Amino acid sequence: MSPDSGPFHPDLDRQKSLWARIWEHRALYAAISPFYILFAVFGLFPIAFSLYLAFHKWDGIGVMTYNGLNNFKYMLTDAEFWQAVGNTFMIWIYSTIPMLFFALIIAFLLHAPFVKFRTLFRVGYFLPNVTSIVAVAIIFGALFANNYGFLNYLLQSIGLPVVEWLNAPWGIKVAISSMVVWRWTGYNAIIYLAGLQSIPQTLYEAAKIDGASAVQSFFRITIPMLRPVILFTVITSTIGGMQLFTEPQVLVGNDGGSGAAGMTIVLYLYRESFINNYFGYGAAVGWGMFLIIALFSIVNWKLVQGKSS
Amino acid sequence: MIRRKRTCWTAMIMACVLLISGCSVWPGQDDAASSKKVALTLWYWNRSIDDKLIARAKEKFPNIELTAQKIGGDFKAKLKTTLAARSGEPDIVALNDWIMELFPSEDRFYNLYDLGAGEVEDQYLPWKWKQGVTPNGQMIGFPMDTGPTALFYRADLFKEAGLPSEPEEVARQIDNWDAYAAAGEKIKEKFDGKVFLTDNIGSVYSQVLSQASERYFRPDGSFIGMDSPAVRTSWDTAVAFKQKGLLANADGWTPAWNAAMNNGEIASFVGAVWMKQVLQEAAPDTSGQWRVTRAPGGDGNNGGSFLSILKSSKHPKEAFELIRWLQSPENQLEQYQTLNLFPSAPGVFDKPALKEKETFFGGQATGTVFAESAQHVPDAFFGERYPSVHNIITRRLNDIAKQNADPQQVWSDTVHRVEREAASVKA
Repeated sequence: MSPDSGPFHPDLDRQKSLWARIWEHRALYAAISPFYILFAVFGLFPIAFSLYLAFHKWDGIGVMTYNGLNNFKYMLTDAEFWQAVGNTFMIWIYSTIPMLFFALIIAFLLHAPFVKFRTLFRVGYFLPNVTSIVAVAIIFGALFANNYGFLNYLLQSIGLPVVEWLNAPWGIKVAISSMVVWRWTGYNAIIYLAGLQSIPQTLYEAAKIDGASAVQSFFRITIPMLRPVILFTVITSTIGGMQLFTEPQVLVGNDGGSGAAGMTIVLYLYRESFINNYFGYGAAVGWGMFLIIALFSIVNWKLVQGKSS
Repeated sequence: MIRRKRTCWTAMIMACVLLISGCSVWPGQDDAASSKKVALTLWYWNRSIDDKLIARAKEKFPNIELTAQKIGGDFKAKLKTTLAARSGEPDIVALNDWIMELFPSEDRFYNLYDLGAGEVEDQYLPWKWKQGVTPNGQMIGFPMDTGPTALFYRADLFKEAGLPSEPEEVARQIDNWDAYAAAGEKIKEKFDGKVFLTDNIGSVYSQVLSQASERYFRPDGSFIGMDSPAVRTSWDTAVAFKQKGLLANADGWTPAWNAAMNNGEIASFVGAVWMKQVLQEAAPDTSGQWRVTRAPGGDGNNGGSFLSILKSSKHPKEAFELIRWLQSPENQLEQYQTLNLFPSAPGVFDKPALKEKETFFGGQATGTVFAESAQHVPDAFFGERYPSVHNIITRRLNDIAKQNADPQQVWSDTVHRVEREAASVKA
């Protein structure tokens, strides 16, 4: 960079006003502007507009009228909203615990020295993640179907009674959770694997010399060293779990299936906004969900962090 | 430095050009002006208008440059987004039976009465015509096809269970929902509970309701209340069907429904005329066994569509001429033959096309049954909140049918829920 090119001379620039400095480097600002313009149009504006919308009544086409805090009041007193919150948490628990557990085991196995064709396995475990969710939901729908479903076929053929998966409240949640587990276990395993690979081998060697068993070194070295990675996966799966939508929507429909047992918060938001045309209310639900995710992420963060310190 | 700056600007400008050229759609006003043609766009969904008819319309109206666009995916969502954006609207748009959701936005549509719709009003079924007219008397939807309902039943299963099997006889003996339920109990007994009378609780409720002359709202927008006789009767009938074990719990549009129909687990259902097509595709193995007769409890309607002209159109007169021609009785008759769209113009009901024998229905001419039904559909006002209220009730009924929830408990929950929705502050 030649001395006259400007942007890296804060001492000289300080004498001028901010706008003058921006104008002087306008070409560079223009060059980086596409991101900011796109972000403003597709990121910032919708967020700001949804906040504005949350205080209005709007059917999507007609006139918007100011509605004060009514949308939020309605949300807080709506049994279906709270059911959706409860469902979302249940599905999150049903899916996240087995998912992270399996992911850790898979990562540990992939990291083990005796495994051959590692790249093949890594690609294999990652594949579910790039499969279309709609396709996944349709296949799982066929697996869990009440009549003519594959799981019920298996149960019947070993002489067990048929389970009405998609009629029972817990069955719907299990079906949705299993989809999440299937889809995200490999993804988390790859992340854990990266974490495992960053643990210096010397730590294990030192432990071995001191006479530690494999189990001891797993709990005393691997888990503590993986903590930041585990934190990361817990937070991302919290956010992902709270935003669950396509799986239940394709599997059990816009109403969350029988007894609304598969109604998640986002599905509720979607139905109220885009099926029932309560756009203002939908925006309010969106902000409610934002608060829930924020609170829940903080709680999780504290929990996972707290254990170590 | 100067050179570098210039390169930078060039890159910027090129990026902008790319961005703009990527999303620019310059309307072809110049072309239209030079050829002196009126440019009209039409939005419809697959199988709502015959493509050949559209091709003929282009010959019939040489002064109109018609761009007919088949909108795939969620048609309603796309239309509503376009209306909300107030840009890129078509001149003419097809609307489905959710037309009442757009009544609050009647000012976004031309009043077809102003364009001369009154001249042809007597050619169409009055109840159908009224569905396109808002409570303020603005006509925003021109009648396309309709969905008169009838009883679809398996003649072989009915016969085996000792029930009448000829359409006239079935209609005479099973002329109300109680008689229909009694027939269902006979079937259940005969086939040891392996064959069910009908598919699901929601369809029973909706079909009883569709035979009534009121729904949930009055034309002035006020809520009738859940104690309206129509709602109560429909609910009680649906719950009784569940309690008597007459439902297969097969939801429509699912592989389970198709399989149950094809395997002969369902002996009958009340459905609209377009179910003919759905049934034939779902249950090819049962061809020849089905018959159609007038529904127990009376005639009703499910579905059917409309054509509207948006206020943003610059050529409403030409658009209306086109609509009027597309949906003329003769062209409706033609679309009945090509796409199975049931006419809303009763003038063509006695034409040979409706009397054609159908092998899937054992050689019965089902068109005449639906034509009779279509002429006896009661007038009913829906109201723009009909879909959300109706949806609350049918999904609660599902809890009774599938989770054995206590009907009394569900009823009081539903009343509470629907009243909350009717008094909603949300929209």
